[in-house]
Amino acid sequence: MAEPEAQLLRAVGLIEKDTNGDALWVWCYPSVTAELRTLLLRKCCLTDENKLLHTFVFGQYKRSWFYITTVEVQDSPALKKVTHFSIVLMAKDFNPEKYAAFTRILCRIYLKHGSPVKMMESYIAVLTKGICQSEENGSFLSKDFDARKAYLAGSIKDIVSQFGMETVILYTALMLKKRIVVYHPRIEAIQEFTRTLPALVWHRQDWSILHSYVHLNEEELEALKACTGYIAGFTDSEVSSRSDLYDVYVNLADSEITVSPVVKEAMTMGKLHKEIGQLIVQSAEDPDKSDSQVIKDISLKTKEILATLASLTEISDGNEKPTLNAEALKQKRFPPATENFLFHLAAAEQMLKI
Amino acid sequence: MEEVDKILIHSLRQAGTAVPPEVQSVRDLTPELVVEAAVRCLRAVRPALGAPLSPLLPPGISARFRLASDLAAACQELGFGGDVGYQTFLYSSEHDTRRLLLFLVEKLPRDEGERGAETPGTDLEEGSGKSGALLRAIGARIREQLGTPWVPPVCRTPRLQRLQTPPALLETHAAQLSARHDWEAEWGGPGLASRLPPQEYLERKRLRARLRALEPLRQACPPHPQGPTPGPPLDPAWLQEAFGAGGAGGALPKGSRFTRTQHLTHQQDPQVLLQQMQAAAETLQPPKGPEEDPGSRQASEEAALEETLARLEAEIEGCRGEIRAAQLSLTQAEAEVRQCRGALGGREDALRVKARAVELLPDAQNNMAKLQLVVESSSRRIVSLAGQWERHRGPLLAEYRQLRALRDSAQVAELEALPRDVSRAVYTQRILEIVGNIRKQKEEIGKILEDTRALQKEINALVGKLERTFSVTDELLFKDAKRDEVVRKAYKYLAALHENCAQLIRTIEDTGTIQREIRDLEEQIEGETSAKLPASLERILSDCRALREENALLAARARHA
Repeated sequence: MAEPEAQLLRAVGLIEKDTNGDALWVWCYPSVTAELRTLLLRKCCLTDENKLLHTFVFGQYKRSWFYITTVEVQDSPALKKVTHFSIVLMAKDFNPEKYAAFTRILCRIYLKHGSPVKMMESYIAVLTKGICQSEENGSFLSKDFDARKAYLAGSIKDIVSQFGMETVILYTALMLKKRIVVYHPRIEAIQEFTRTLPALVWHRQDWSILHSYVHLNEEELEALKACTGYIAGFTDSEVSSRSDLYDVYVNLADSEITVSPVVKEAMTMGKLHKEIGQLIVQSAEDPDKSDSQVIKDISLKTKEILATLASLTEISDGNEKPTLNAEALKQKRFPPATENFLFHLAAAEQMLKI
Repeated sequence: MEEVDKILIHSLRQAGTAVPPEVQSVRDLTPELVVEAAVRCLRAVRPALGAPLSPLLPPGISARFRLASDLAAACQELGFGGDVGYQTFLYSSEHDTRRLLLFLVEKLPRDEGERGAETPGTDLEEGSGKSGALLRAIGARIREQLGTPWVPPVCRTPRLQRLQTPPALLETHAAQLSARHDWEAEWGGPGLASRLPPQEYLERKRLRARLRALEPLRQACPPHPQGPTPGPPLDPAWLQEAFGAGGAGGALPKGSRFTRTQHLTHQQDPQVLLQQMQAAAETLQPPKGPEEDPGSRQASEEAALEETLARLEAEIEGCRGEIRAAQLSLTQAEAEVRQCRGALGGREDALRVKARAVELLPDAQNNMAKLQLVVESSSRRIVSLAGQWERHRGPLLAEYRQLRALRDSAQVAELEALPRDVSRAVYTQRILEIVGNIRKQKEEIGKILEDTRALQKEINALVGKLERTFSVTDELLFKDAKRDEVVRKAYKYLAALHENCAQLIRTIEDTGTIQREIRDLEEQIEGETSAKLPASLERILSDCRALREENALLAARARHA
């Protein structure tokens, strides 16, 4: 599904920090709304007082992905009054590697020439042809960066080695489309962790639930609350007190997972979950298996469960999609935790009769 | 002293008094400035006291006098220990003015003085840090909840219940309080009179209420021997009449309460109640046969009620399950709606693109070549436009940055221009030095006092010794004085010696006393001369003359009017 680049790239912008200490939006193309500008100023680390430079951050806001690369300026004849700058890219798809490479090229161009006009040329080239020349005698080809590769780039084995059997809680939460909040003081750790989580539900291949960098700001939280299920990453520890924002809270720094009491009933675990957990752990601990193979194993198990669910559905008149037959589910006499899980899963997969 | 004055004047300036820059010490303050400073400080310390007083000294003498005395009274109310009257403001001495102003400046609230001197975290109301944030969050939450309109408990959804915590708290509290009140009232009256322990009393009451509830049913129900005619007794209308409005249907002395509760409850309740009563009546009837045994009747009543209870519980479980399923369906439906909307947006865009493509499809090759050209030319145009924009943007940005840099440097210069002598380190150093000096002086004073005490002791001892010696010598000589002429002369010489020495000592003591008095008087003279009496006297005399003239004027006006 190779969408033409023109439909994916939305905007490019430039934020500079100068010798006066101000962080300003100095240039953008085609245009960035004022709301987005405030948001992106918050996300890029130049407004922070603690001066921690994050080379590359990405996140999502209202179905649009932003990628920010920040660079410190040292002895550039073209940029005299600028100490740091960030290049911001807005796109519709999730592909951190591609946009990291692209923004790095743009950064180098800007460092060398000091004028956004050269950046524009490369941007337009990628927009129209999908290719641009980089400064080091190479070229950037956007077709080198496939979406699937981006989905598979994270390391599921690291997640399983950190959480062990508790990974099945994350799996259940994702399957039932619950709200997961992840906290860690460093944004890079959050990004690494959260980008891999949607791979646990590979059959959906839906990375739009990922909001890897959220601040405790009213507008961002409103936008977040509008989604049913999401994975949200916060660097602010106060999020642990906001129980209205999450069903599952992951403290990545302390490797702790907490389930909110509101969803405890829906997420009760039984024999089925234990099986799944054991499968995940075993598969991840196998040194011969690569990350993508682990994901494949998990997705096979998921397919099994979905097949079970499908066997209990029927095409009743009036609905185009198969809907769950509650009687058939009861007749199977699954253990109560499994039955509960299947019922909620049917709701998540939109198989309930309305 | 100069530094003290400088700090004082600086604080007065911060409090809002317009002290001209050439005024460097308290000596140079005019009465107008003193009054203005005092009024502004008073307003800052206690607005209620300072509001009626005007900071401007009026020209009329009587008005001035009035203002000054009001100001003096206000200062005394604040707690100024020293002597303050109208003269402190109008004919002030440097020492008194300084004392008063220091007292007022000390009383000023902290943030009127040095803003930077606030220590963080000590002020609970505006605390920074987590406790402050928590308190503020609590305050905001409660304010928000108090903002939502109050809904009676019966009409609340669970969400509303959660939001209405303050009213809910008040309600549960009130309910608890009224329940306790009722129980106390009841127990205090009929409860104690029945002379039963509380549990038994409650049991009796419950039994009585039950019997009362079933009484009309039993009465209105026709005696069973008449035959198995289940129709009329189970007639809902008859049942309603039995428990009819106004309690007329039965021998219920307090039937009105029952019917009142019946009216107040939900519309469905009468139906449920009727069903229950129906079921109770049904089970009531068969035992009402030939046996007419009250015991078995009660047992069967109980069984019937328990059956209905179990059925109702099962129904509630079923409803709960249905609610859960409904909620899940709701979330599913919402998710579907959202998904469809998103897909719709995407599909509309795709449709537009494909429509254009279809239009251009017939002459594919040419159109593709044309499109390529169009794309290239528009990219070139965009890049050139960007270049033009850059030509405008670059200088504007540079200018903006320059101005910001200028403004920052101006601010820095301003900061440096602030009086340098208001530096704290020097003052703390000085204060510590002064404290050291005072300590040393205290030690010296202590030593001197010890010496003085030792001397006094010595003097006392010597005086005592002298007295004893003299009396012994006196006796001795007196004994021999009658016989011997020489001894008599010696005795006379002894007495004279003693007298003269005593006089010497007295003179020395007087000298010391007079010297002390001289010192005191000198101090007084110094104080009085620094009070600038002649100048004040002149001012007072001139004011007195002006006051007399004003009085004459007013008297003349009064006479003519």
